[in-house]
Order: sequence, then structure tokens, then C-alpha cells
Amino acid sequence: MMKLKSLLPILIAIAGLICLPLFIHNPYYIHLVETILIYTILLYGLDIVVGYVGQVSLGHAALFGIGSYTAGVLYFHLGMPIWVNIPAAIIVTAIFGGILALPALKVIGPYLAMVTLAFGTIAQILINEMTWLTEGPLGIKIPKPELMGVPMTKAEYFWLVSAVLIISLIVVDRFVKSQIGRAFEALRDSPIACDCMGVSVYRFKVIAFVISAGFAGLAGCLYAYSEQYISPNTYNNELAVLFLLGIIMGGRKSRLGALIGAAIIVLLPKLLDDINLFRIVASVIAIVVVVGAGMALSKKITTPKRVALPIIGVVGLAAFSFWLNSISDWRLSIFGFMILLVVYYLQSGIVGFAKSFYQAMVGKAKTTRGGDHEEVDDSISFISTVANQNTGAELLKVDSVLMQFGGLKALNNVDLSIKRGTIHGLIGPNGSGKSTMMNVLTGIYVPTAGNVLYAGESVVGKTSSDIALSGIARTFQNVQLFGEMTAIQNILVGLHHTFKSNMVEIALHLPRYKKEEAEAHARAMALLKFVGLDDLANEEARNLPYGKQRLLEIARALALDPELLLLDEPAAGLTAPDIKELLRIIRKIRDSGITFILIEHHMDVVMSVCDTVSVLDFGQKIAEGKPAEVQADEKVIHAYLGT
Amino acid sequence: MLSIKNLEAGYGKVKVLHGINIDVPKGQVITLIGSNGAGKTTTMRAITGMIKPTAGEVTLSGEKIDGYDSHKIARLGLAHSPEGRRVFTTMSVTDNLLLGAFPRFTGSRPKGDIKQDLEKSLEMFPRLKERRNQLAGTLSGGEQQMLAMARAVMLNPEIILLDEPSMGLAPILVEEVFKIISNLKSQGVTMLLVEQFAAAALNVADYGYVLENGKIATHGPAAKLKDDPAVKAAYLGGAGGH
Amino acid sequence: MDMFAQILSSGIAVGMIYAVIAFGFQLTFATSGTLNFGQGEALMLGALVGLTCVDTFGMNYWVMIPVVCLFGMLQGSFVELIGVRPAIKIKSEFGWIMSTIALGIIFKNVAENIWGRDALPFPSPLPMEPMSFLGANILPMEILVVVGALVMMLLVEFFNRKTIYGKAVVATANDRDAAGLMGINTSVVITFSYALSSLTAAFAGVLIAPLTLTGATMGGALGLKAFAVAIIGGLSSGLGIIVGGLILGIVETATGFYISTGYKDVPGLILLLLVLAYKPSGLFGKSAIKKV
Repeated sequence: MMKLKSLLPILIAIAGLICLPLFIHNPYYIHLVETILIYTILLYGLDIVVGYVGQVSLGHAALFGIGSYTAGVLYFHLGMPIWVNIPAAIIVTAIFGGILALPALKVIGPYLAMVTLAFGTIAQILINEMTWLTEGPLGIKIPKPELMGVPMTKAEYFWLVSAVLIISLIVVDRFVKSQIGRAFEALRDSPIACDCMGVSVYRFKVIAFVISAGFAGLAGCLYAYSEQYISPNTYNNELAVLFLLGIIMGGRKSRLGALIGAAIIVLLPKLLDDINLFRIVASVIAIVVVVGAGMALSKKITTPKRVALPIIGVVGLAAFSFWLNSISDWRLSIFGFMILLVVYYLQSGIVGFAKSFYQAMVGKAKTTRGGDHEEVDDSISFISTVANQNTGAELLKVDSVLMQFGGLKALNNVDLSIKRGTIHGLIGPNGSGKSTMMNVLTGIYVPTAGNVLYAGESVVGKTSSDIALSGIARTFQNVQLFGEMTAIQNILVGLHHTFKSNMVEIALHLPRYKKEEAEAHARAMALLKFVGLDDLANEEARNLPYGKQRLLEIARALALDPELLLLDEPAAGLTAPDIKELLRIIRKIRDSGITFILIEHHMDVVMSVCDTVSVLDFGQKIAEGKPAEVQADEKVIHAYLGT
Repeated sequence: MLSIKNLEAGYGKVKVLHGINIDVPKGQVITLIGSNGAGKTTTMRAITGMIKPTAGEVTLSGEKIDGYDSHKIARLGLAHSPEGRRVFTTMSVTDNLLLGAFPRFTGSRPKGDIKQDLEKSLEMFPRLKERRNQLAGTLSGGEQQMLAMARAVMLNPEIILLDEPSMGLAPILVEEVFKIISNLKSQGVTMLLVEQFAAAALNVADYGYVLENGKIATHGPAAKLKDDPAVKAAYLGGAGGH
Repeated sequence: MDMFAQILSSGIAVGMIYAVIAFGFQLTFATSGTLNFGQGEALMLGALVGLTCVDTFGMNYWVMIPVVCLFGMLQGSFVELIGVRPAIKIKSEFGWIMSTIALGIIFKNVAENIWGRDALPFPSPLPMEPMSFLGANILPMEILVVVGALVMMLLVEFFNRKTIYGKAVVATANDRDAAGLMGINTSVVITFSYALSSLTAAFAGVLIAPLTLTGATMGGALGLKAFAVAIIGGLSSGLGIIVGGLILGIVETATGFYISTGYKDVPGLILLLLVLAYKPSGLFGKSAIKKV
């Protein structure tokens, strides 16, 4: 029943797409809608990079072009049919996406944007200059593909594009809801935590670009057959900006948003060709914004100061439209202006804005995602019981580790020995090197000298995600949750290592993937219940109260099936009842055989749960022993209280 | 001079300070002590506008300054030597000191003789005098701390806020830093001193406040606080018995 | 050998222009951690405004330069106020990237509507007869470009090192919060750094205009390549951008000569990608420590 309801819009859409060429015979309009569908496919791909991974890509026009030219060149030089060219375009463009991702691995934000811009520029130059392959500025003519020896009609090709769009929609939707999609979002929200959950940021950034490029190539190929002519000038940097505008204006992380975005960027230039139509639309937008702002003001959702600029903007745009005689020369300025408005006033896109506006007007409280309450299966063992046998044997050995930053020795020849099944406290004044030690243990820093042996093997030089997978999980001093993801999704990222299914299995929803997903889900719920968050499973992590965020972080770390759990100031910022709950949870985890290293300032916490305590001061270990001994140590008192 | 009433502040969703009252009379040294994470640095940041207080009032010489940007507060004569020293590492010692006097150059504070004050502060910190042309980034931790304090003095301020001047310093340097603080005190400089080293801070201060979990747990004349078992408890947990 | 000297001299002139624009990137990045993606458009506007001053208002080239510099400052402040400040306030990296790109597009489009789409010649203030030097033919204008670029960079360096306001800029670049505690209004400093950055770009525009043609589309590629120079040299190294500029200028001229002028933009961009892949902090930059 539920399923049918959610399928309904898609069924209506399919019916609409099938009927459209039957009722509209004007090829111009069919072509227009076809272009929107093709752009939508591209935006699905771009959304993976922009919406899910959170990176700005200005290289997608070039990837689109590579897709078109793969099809064009294969047809032109080898006479290949579309059934060869579509997969070829996807594969070739995906390879280029991987190449683009390589320099992108080491850089973020503005650098990445510039890298993709440079990539786009190079691609355009190469397409232009490599005339032996691409015919250069002359371009390539491509006829409509043949179906059983007969060229397709416009309507038939439209149906082909529609079918590809529907398939793309389903595949993208399945990808982003799978462990792969969760990895993308995790690396966007906190790359460091992502690595420490055993999900390699490097690997998934490349995968994101490859998948994204694959869709761009697919769209490019379809575009080549749709236009029947390709030339290098189409795939310029302005098109790349236009794609970005489409995705942020329509709405990130939304299939409907991509469609709306594609419609806007395809129709807008047509709109701008006709000054009268533009005047009408600009006036309507101005009226809608003014009325909407008025309603919002009357309900006190917003303040006059906040709506002033957008109102001036849209009214100014309407006035500008009446002042101009011809709009087409000012096309790009209008695009630029729209980008500015969207970036600052429509950050969540049309879809996101409509949602929140509707909710605010109806006055309905924000419903949590997913809705239904789920029963937790208590029989699931959510903590892997680590072999309790070897209790007391050495699990981790830190051997005279030196960590030097410039002239500062953050850790100065520190030795630690952590015994299996114990809780080892690490205390010391601010800046004494505790967090640095955590970062060395989890591979975020590589020590200047010394060695770290975990279960007899050196972890020095291993990546954070490899160390995490070998069984060391951690929490962070300043909570590093995946903020835009729900509580349960956060845990599922921790359970990423339990998934073995590949992309094909995800796309086709094959049994192994479905089984893994169901098992992971059940276990995640059990873990949430363990820390008392099962009621909040579908709440976004950033909306949780601080104390609950800390507990969620611990549950996420447990999902990794660790043997060693590092807690960095778990009690910081917690209230007294929260701390009590925390202690209960820590003891319970310890009972299942997991070993702890605990950094904490709340002495009562340290005293009540730790078996051994080491004290750091100025990067050196100044004391070690049972809590009571350490507390009575002269050196420790001196370090804390001063002279 | 500086008065703080019911101050509340935090970062994002996390509320760190739950209503704090501190009074710093002119010419006195007040210390704010407490364990890590109690909210000492947050208090300092809220006073100097590095974070905006969510409730409460801060007044400096009668002027309400909560909500002001930090540059405006500095121009009113409040010098803040921040936690972690925060000297300008790619600039010379002299340039760092001159920047301390920035509002005096621009005329938003009485100019006086900046050159002479520069020499005077270098006399006060002999370690800096030897290194006046060195880049601040090449100084040792202790020297950077001296520089941060000297930079604050260059403002000719009404009041100086010192945030954890002893943090990360070797004991011998800590001693030197506290010597300088008592030296400043003898010149009549008003100070609010935040410290982890409670004993040393209480030795130099006139009056002390103990911060615990974002609230003032106790306060009183420094000499009296020194023998308070509750103060010890604030540092080593159960040791003093709650 | 003659050909080599020729490539070297032309490459140096082009490279110095890249260095000046890259210098502008450094100025804004230092104070605010942001970059103007429309830096090339700032250069283009400078050149076109200069052209109008000379052609329409009959100004002398040398008189026009301060006018263009002033215009550049206004243009840069505008970009900061409209595009960058709101993004810094909401801590949105996406915001300033997109809005400086958007402003760049708008500037380019406005320029097309005012000055037309065709490339226009820019009258040279110096004789156009090449001088022979070590076997290479050097235009007097090329020497002016090199000298002008160096003087501009030295002037800004002088300002930063010797005046208290310049020191305030450097302090803001060092540590924005601490600079605020010194009584420095860091928002104004950031606006100023944008003004200065666009000033250097506009100045570079009128320097290079007599050697090339001016037009609305002249900025895009220059801006991108200057960014490449800023990355190759390192965003924090003054020497780095000069070296980076010279490398790029010479490689590019050589490519144009030995392969094809169509490919001349390619090696710089590939160099950019390689540097980012292997040493993202640039050849002369220091790498930062990750903080958790």
C-alpha cells in the first residue's frame, strides 16, 4: 500500500512521457522536453558530486562534451551504432572522471573548483585542436540512431531518452541510499571521521567522480543524437556554471530538484529570447516573492531586514526588464544575478524552500525522516564480543613515540602499554599531548620517531581507514558526526565494513545487497537502543542535543566492531545525569571485552572506571599507575595545581 | 572597571557558561581559576567579543560592551592576551608590539609616545629586547608568551585580560611569567587573570573566582581561597571531598 | 639560439603579468582565505576602462593609470561587499566561489554590452619598434610590463612592511581573531585586500593591453592561468609567484612556437594539475598541519 503510493508520481510521470509525443506533434517542443530530460540525467550525476560529496565541480560541461564526442567520434570514424556508443560514452567519460579526481584527491573547496575549471578548459582546447579525431571547430554530424535498420523517428528517440532517464533515476536513487551514498555524505560532513570509520575518503571521492562522470557521459551521448550535430563551443565553462546553477536552484539531493533545475536552465535562455515573455515572468516572480515575503512576515517567520534584499532584487529585475529593449544581450548577466540570489537566499533550492515554506505556513512541526517507529530486535548481538580470553595481554604498545611540529615536541618519547580488556585513562593539563596521542594512534599524524604496535603489528604509516578496519575506533574531542545524516545513517556508516555488495548488486537490488542492508539496519537500531537513541533514529545528527551527539558517536564507533576504543573527552559538556548514563555505557562495553583508552578531564569519571591511568605533561609521561596512586602523586598535583 | 553580569555563552548548541558574575575593580588583579573545560577561556572570549554572549551584560568603565566586535572593544582600552598566545608569527617582535598599539596610531586611543613605550616594554621583557628584530614565529613558547603580554601592555590599556599565560610553559618560565604579572600589578595595572595553575594565580591576585561547569562555584579574597578545600577539589576531583 | 632568446624574453613579459595577477590572488587569500574567481574580469575591466580613458577622453597613458587603479579599487570593494562578505558571515565556501564566479560573468556580459564583442586595439604609449638585445627582438612595452609588474609588487610589499596600516593587513593575514583583539577592524581589512587585489589586476590589464588586444573575453584565460601560477608558486610565497609566472610564461611561449598556438594554454593547466596532485601547497609553499 505504502509502496504503491510512493510509486504513483513516477507512474504518472512515465505515462506522461509516453503520451507526450502522441499529443504534441510540434518537433520543437518535443526537442525541448528531450533536452530537459538529458540535462536531468547529467544533473543526477552532478548532484552526486555537489549535493552528496559537497564539492564544486566546474568540469561537468567538459565531461558532457567527452560523452558527446565519444559517441560522435565512434560513429564518424567507425560507424558504430548507438548500442555500442552509449556504453562506450559512459566508460570513456567515467575514466576521465577518474583522471579529474586524481588531483582533486589532495585538494578541497576553491582548489577543487579551479582544478575542475582547468580540466574543462583543457578538454575544450583539446576537442578544438585535435582535428584528426574530432574534426575540430567544424563539428560532427550524427544522424538519429537506427532501430532494426530503420532510423528512429523523433518520437521513438524521445521514448528512448525517457526510458534512459527513468533507469538513471532508479539507479541514482538506489546508489545514494546504499552504503556508497552514505559514504559520500559522510566524507562531505566530516572527512576525518569518515576515514576513522574505515571508509576511505580518497577511494570514495574517486568513486563519486567516476559515477558522476558516467552519468555526464551518458547524457552527452544522448545529447549528440538529440542535436544530431556537435561542436566544441557548446561545452564551454558557461555551460558548466549553468549546470551548477541548475542543481543548486532546483535543490540538492533531490531527484525532483534536478528535474526542475534542468527545466529552468533549458527554458531560461528561450525565455530570455522573448522580451515580452520575460517581462511577464519577471513581474510574476516579483509579485510571488513580495506576497510570499508578506505572508512570511505576517506569520513572523522572517524579519523585514532579511527579506529586504531579495525583494529589492526581484523588483529591480522586473523594472530592469521593462527598461530594456532586448534581453538576449543581457542573458549572462541575468544568469549571474540569479546565481547570486540563489546562493544567498535559496540555498536549499526550490524543492527545499518549498518544503520548509509549506511546513512553516501550515505550522506543522518538522516531521522526522522515515516516520514510523521501528521495533528493535533485542536478540541481535550488536557488540561483537571480542575474545574475552586474553584479558591482561598487551593489545597496544606505544614505543617511545616522538611527535614534532616545527620546534614543538607535542609528544616526547612517550611509552604506553595497553592491556586487553582494561580501561586505560590518559590525563594531563591542556596542551600536554593527549589528543596528539589519539591522532598518532589513529593514523591522522605520522609520528616523527618511535613505533606503535597494535596486536603485534606496527600501525605507523598505515592510513586512518586501514587502522580503523584493523579494529581501532575512536570518538572526537569536538564531536565529528555526519551532521546532515540521520542518527541511524551515522551508525550505518560505521557498519560500512559489513557490506560486500558491489554497484551492480545495488543498482539491481540483488538479494545479497538487500540482506546486508536489512542486517545492518537491524544492528544499527540495536546499537541506537543500547545508547538510548532508538527514538531519535531518524533525526538529523546536527539536531540532536549535545549529550546525545556524544553517545551517538560512541555507538557509531562500536559499529566498527573495534577491539580498542579511544574516547576523547566523552564527558565534556555533559550534565551530571548524562555522565551517569555514559559511565553505565562504558562499563557495559568493557564487559563485552573491548579495551578502552579514555581521555577525560572529569576526574570522578576517570577515578571510577579506569584500571590504569597515565599522566602526560609537556608531551612527556610523568606518572602512571592505579587511579588512586596517580591522584596522590606529587608530580601530578604539581602539574595540575602549580606551585 | 569591568563588570560581568549573568553572562551566558557557548558554541553553537553547546552552552558553556550558565550565568556568570565577575567584578574587576580598578587597580586590582582578579583571577578566574577552574579545571579544564570549566569555561574559563569561553568567559574571556565572550568578554572581548570573539564570541557573542547569548545573555547577560558586560560593562567596561560604565559602557555596555557585550555584542560589540572585538576591535571596537580593544579601542575602548581592553587588552586581551589570548589563550595560546596568538602572536603574529611572520612578523618581527617590534612589529608585533607596534600592532598592540594600533588604536593609538589611528587616534582612537590617546597616542602618547609610542616609541618610548616600545622601549619601556622591551626593558620590562629583557628576553624580547635581545630578539626585537627576530620573527615572532621563531621565538620559544615562553618568549611568545612574554610577547603576547608585552603586546597587550602596548595598548596603554584600562585593563588587561590574561588567558592562561602559563599554558604549555616549562616551570621555570611559568615563574618568570608570574614575576612579570606581579611587576605589572605593582604599576597599578588592572588585570583579569585566567589560570589553570591555581596556587600561583592566587598568590598574585587580590580576589579570586572559581569556575566549575560554567558556573561560579565560589569566590573570595585570594588569600582565603588558597586554603579552601573546595578549590583543591575543583582540580583533582574526589581528592578534597565534595 | 636567437629563437631561444626570443622565446625567453616574450615569455618573461607574459610571465610577469601572470605573476601580478597571481599576486592579487595572494592578497585576498592571505586576509580572508577566499579567492576572486572573477580576477580575470577585473583585469579585463581595467584594460577597457583604460582604453576608454585614452580613446574617448583623450587622456595620456600615464595619467590614465592612476584612474584605472582607482577604478580597480572600487570594483574590488564591490566584489567583496556583494559576493564575499555575506559568504564569510555564513561560513559558506560554496557561497563565495559561486558568487565571485557569478559576478565575473556579470562583469563580462556588461563589458560586452558596453564595449562590444570584438577585440579592440590599445594604443601603445611607447614606440612599437623592437629593440635588439642579445639576439632577441624586445618591444619597449615588454620592458615596461616587467618593470611595471615589479614596481607594483614592491610598492605593495613596502606598504605592508613599513606602514602601520600595512602591518594591520599582514596581522589579519596571520591571525584574524588576534588582529581583531589589537583593535584592527578585520572586515575593513578584507575589503581593502580585495580593493588592492583588483587594483593590481586592473593595472596588469593596462600593462598588457598594448601588447595584445583588449576585449570582454580577454580575462577568463588570464585569470585561470594566474591561478595556476599562484598554485604552482604557492599561495603564500612572493618569490614563488614570480618564479611560477616565469616558468609558465616561458613554457607557454615555447609551446606556442614549437607546437601550435592553439595548444599554448594547455601546458600551464597541466602543470597546475600536476602540482596540485603532488605538492598542493605549491613549489614554494609550506604545508599546513591538519587539526582535529
